Amino acid sequence: MTARETGRITVSGLTKRFGRVTAVNGLSFTAAPGAVTGFLGPNGAGKTTTLRMLAGLVAPDAGAATISGHAYTRLASPGREAGVVLEAAGFHPARTGRDHLRVYCTASGYPLRRADEVLALTGLAAAGRRKARGYSLGMRQRLALAAALLGDPVALILDEPANGLDPEGIAWLRGLLRDFARSGRTVLYSSHVLPEVEQLADHVVIVSGGRLVRQGTLAELTGGRGGLEQVFLSLTARPVPGCPPC
Amino acid sequence: MPAVLTRLIAAEFRKLCTTRLWLWLLLVSAVWTAGYTALATALSGRPGGLTPALSGAAGQHALFAIGAGGAAPLAAILAAAGTAGEFRHRTAAATFLATPRRARVIAAKLTIYLLAGTGYGVACIAVGAAVALPWLSARGTPLSLATHGNLAVLGAVVISAALFGMTGAGLGALLGSEIITIAGLLLFLYVAEPLLSHISALSSWTLYLPGVAADGLTQASQAGVRLLPPWQGGLVLAGWAVVIAAAGTVLTVRRDIT
Repeated sequence: MTARETGRITVSGLTKRFGRVTAVNGLSFTAAPGAVTGFLGPNGAGKTTTLRMLAGLVAPDAGAATISGHAYTRLASPGREAGVVLEAAGFHPARTGRDHLRVYCTASGYPLRRADEVLALTGLAAAGRRKARGYSLGMRQRLALAAALLGDPVALILDEPANGLDPEGIAWLRGLLRDFARSGRTVLYSSHVLPEVEQLADHVVIVSGGRLVRQGTLAELTGGRGGLEQVFLSLTARPVPGCPPC
Repeated sequence: MPAVLTRLIAAEFRKLCTTRLWLWLLLVSAVWTAGYTALATALSGRPGGLTPALSGAAGQHALFAIGAGGAAPLAAILAAAGTAGEFRHRTAAATFLATPRRARVIAAKLTIYLLAGTGYGVACIAVGAAVALPWLSARGTPLSLATHGNLAVLGAVVISAALFGMTGAGLGALLGSEIITIAGLLLFLYVAEPLLSHISALSSWTLYLPGVAADGLTQASQAGVRLLPPWQGGLVLAGWAVVIAAAGTVLTVRRDIT
């Protein structure tokens, strides 16, 4: 693996069909190390499916998605390459947050103290010994992020990570992702909150109907055409408002 | 054993121990075994009792085989909850993110629930013996675990519970739904199988059904049901466990986690 490839996320020609619906259609983009890449698109644009294919949870029908040059499922130590936070991550309601993390420490061969370290890092130190059924949505997001950080990965892949976080939590997450990218690592995250993306992202990838609409730096996309919201709405406008792409 | 598999078995053990389900189901299997053993002991020697006379080998075998009836189904339910529960609680994503080679995860689960079934089997034997032995001794029918070929029956009880644990894990992986797996297990074991196995015209093939094969393994007395000899029953039950586990593994590897 070359230094240039470490942490780089590459999606090329990625396609996934569910029955007759093509969720992702020949999608290609990259997310480079040292930058925060915002992954944007309307509901049903295929963002979640794309991120799940990157994480090896959904098998693509065509194309490839790689991290550090390899498919996630082929990585020798996947948790050290990419930390993944999925939308609506699940926890066993009767298991404590700390035990949840310790399970995956054991599975990945990390020392158990990593569980306490990432709990502290995500502000869950006090809640770690409580059962997950009592966690708020924001705490669940923090626990999912804690699990993604267990392996101290070189890339972070996050699906709507700010969902359920309070303003303080969002500011905290912004700082964490920014520091993560500044240390030369990769951040790819999907979001609906465009002002948030404008504050944080260096690069932006916009998809609609499973296809790439535009990718580039934030400045390239918004140059002389107002804010990100206007650009996003004009790029992802549908022929008939409210009708799913058919 | 490769280091990765050892780690995954340890992780599955940690999952099992960090919730209380194993304890509740073990209590249910212990209560079932204690109650049924007490009933069999109380009724022994009376016409129409649950077992042949407990002074003889046949009666003692039937008495000790009760432990399998307590341990095996609950070991299977525990295992089904352990595999299919990952989909119900949406922890499957976290599990397969940590270990993208999903077949290894299933192999670890099969191992841990085989061991959990073994534990349930041993526990139910202990409960059954604790109820029956002092009682029968007081009634002047002293009974030993080590005579009349009883040890073979006790071994069969443990093997049966272990294989049921493995089968439950495989079935949970195959069906991917905790409620359907557990409901299906209970309906099959307590409704479909007893109905079919009492139809003597069908007995040439019903004796190969998993629960009937398990009864063959332990020689649990079921009036009017044709059973395989123990070693054949054990092999057939192991065959079911392996086939269901293999199907569950293949499907889990191919399934999209959405």
